[in-house]
Amino acid sequence: MRAGRLTNGQFAWLLMLPALALFLAIIAYPLISSVVTGFFEQSLVRPGRAFTGLANFADVLGGDFWPVLRNTLVFTAGATIVPFLIGYALALALNAGIRGSGLMRGLFLFPWVIPGVVVSFLWLWIFNANYGVLNGILLRLGILDAPVSWLGEPATAMIAVIVTKSWASFPWIMVMLLAGLQTMPKELHEAASVDGAGAIRRFISVTLPHMKGIASIVVLLEFIWNFQHFDTIYVLTGGGPAGATETFAVAVYDTAFKGFDLGHATALGGLWMLLLLVLVAFYLRHETKERS
Amino acid sequence: MTVTLPRPATLPRERVRRRLRPDQARSRVAAWIAVAVIGLFGMFPVYWLIVTAFTPDDRVFSFPPSLFPSRITLDHFADLAKNEQLFGYLVNSVIVSVITAVLSVVVSAYMAYAFSKFRYRGRKSLMHLVLASQMFPQALLLVTLYAVFSAVGLLGSYTAMILSFTTFTLPLCVWMLKGIFDTVPGSLMEAAAIDGASRWRTLHTIVLPLAAPGLVAAGLFAFVRAWNDFIFALTLSSPERQTLPPGLVHTYLGEFQTAWPDLMAASFVVSLPVIAAFMFLQRYLVGGLTAGAVKG
Repeated sequence: MRAGRLTNGQFAWLLMLPALALFLAIIAYPLISSVVTGFFEQSLVRPGRAFTGLANFADVLGGDFWPVLRNTLVFTAGATIVPFLIGYALALALNAGIRGSGLMRGLFLFPWVIPGVVVSFLWLWIFNANYGVLNGILLRLGILDAPVSWLGEPATAMIAVIVTKSWASFPWIMVMLLAGLQTMPKELHEAASVDGAGAIRRFISVTLPHMKGIASIVVLLEFIWNFQHFDTIYVLTGGGPAGATETFAVAVYDTAFKGFDLGHATALGGLWMLLLLVLVAFYLRHETKERS
Repeated sequence: MTVTLPRPATLPRERVRRRLRPDQARSRVAAWIAVAVIGLFGMFPVYWLIVTAFTPDDRVFSFPPSLFPSRITLDHFADLAKNEQLFGYLVNSVIVSVITAVLSVVVSAYMAYAFSKFRYRGRKSLMHLVLASQMFPQALLLVTLYAVFSAVGLLGSYTAMILSFTTFTLPLCVWMLKGIFDTVPGSLMEAAAIDGASRWRTLHTIVLPLAAPGLVAAGLFAFVRAWNDFIFALTLSSPERQTLPPGLVHTYLGEFQTAWPDLMAASFVVSLPVIAAFMFLQRYLVGGLTAGAVKG
């Protein structure tokens, strides 16, 4: 065989060649090219472009960037903390030795398994102002006097998208944390209770320290994913009302594909990626530390 | 119970057990309450999707809605079956997702094998780059992908969608398969080398067959991710090449009055293959997710 004359290192690079070529062509090149476009005035629909230096960045920083950053941070924080707490509580409950927890773990995966657009359709229907079941229930319980247009008001629209995204991601967090809980040695808890520690005390001194590693990975990954989340927000509100839920993903998309303004879209996107890179660097450092 | 710790003499076995019992009972009760409350939040929407899909139109568009259906209909599913446009989206979804899955697994398997079984310069950095590439913003990537596909005349084609889906399935498959190849013992490869098999032959006749279940699992994950994609398919496809997610948005949303029961019935159908895939993947769930997204 031809490969027989190669060293192991050369053979490895040969194996990687197809994936590497694909990787360079469809990920590395487009990303770099996108960042470069931020320095040009360029339209999606007309050919040609003109170098404008930092003008796009100046425009963006003088306008859209700050409200969009604020929305992104609110969404990301909410859509990370809420499902984390729900997922953690559920993982603890399913780990408490109750009957049928294996089956329930499977059932609870449904919200996470179904496609993102289906999640969006479903909650669009639940939040519907005229026929939605949420208004129906809250009115019947006497919590509301009149139907609320959940997705039509800036304050409730952000809450609605956070609830929707939380619903879709808490099962994944539960699965990861449950896996962490199951690796916790039982002896630790037994020893602590022999020493007279109550359930809360044991949770704080035994469970939390054991779960620190996996919990921080889960939070970091969720934060990174939510920071660039697009699907649910785009389908539920399209970034509205009045830009109240316009995050980086939606703003970059709309500037490029509705405003046809590639220069401003990629300038905003470049700043967005810079922020993401900080998070990813954190993650990679964490990852390397875990392995060594 | 096997407690190996020495017990304090002042705490006889009986007292320990009696003291533990109400404590354990309390945490069981707390666990059930948590499951019930989160179950309501988690499962009611699923229930509501199914109920709406089977409820006649006149019942759906009455307010307040009744939580339990008084009449059940299959009309919405019958309408779906007759809708040729939706059938076209379904065919597109199947074609694009299957090709994406196969392409991703084949290409990533070689890279994953190199990462797992060989040590060479640049390996670590490349591994990190592949891992990080999963986290770059898709909306930004899309801007240039659109321009490139447009320039080479691929816009609106299956190829454009498949290549764009590969941007996220490739890193996923590489990481997952690396985790799977890590579990194949190196001694097998050494034995094959002693028997005179080339590295190439060893990979194809010994390692890949052993890793077959893992390859299938990675392929299913890639299939699901491709099936679910919205942003790339929304932007890079033409009306005839559209997959189900953007297709459903264009069919049902933005009209004067959304046909909610039809949309819920369609949502139900779109979710079925994904649910089926995950039933197979249950076993790989934690392993696959940690290998593909978390663990190096």
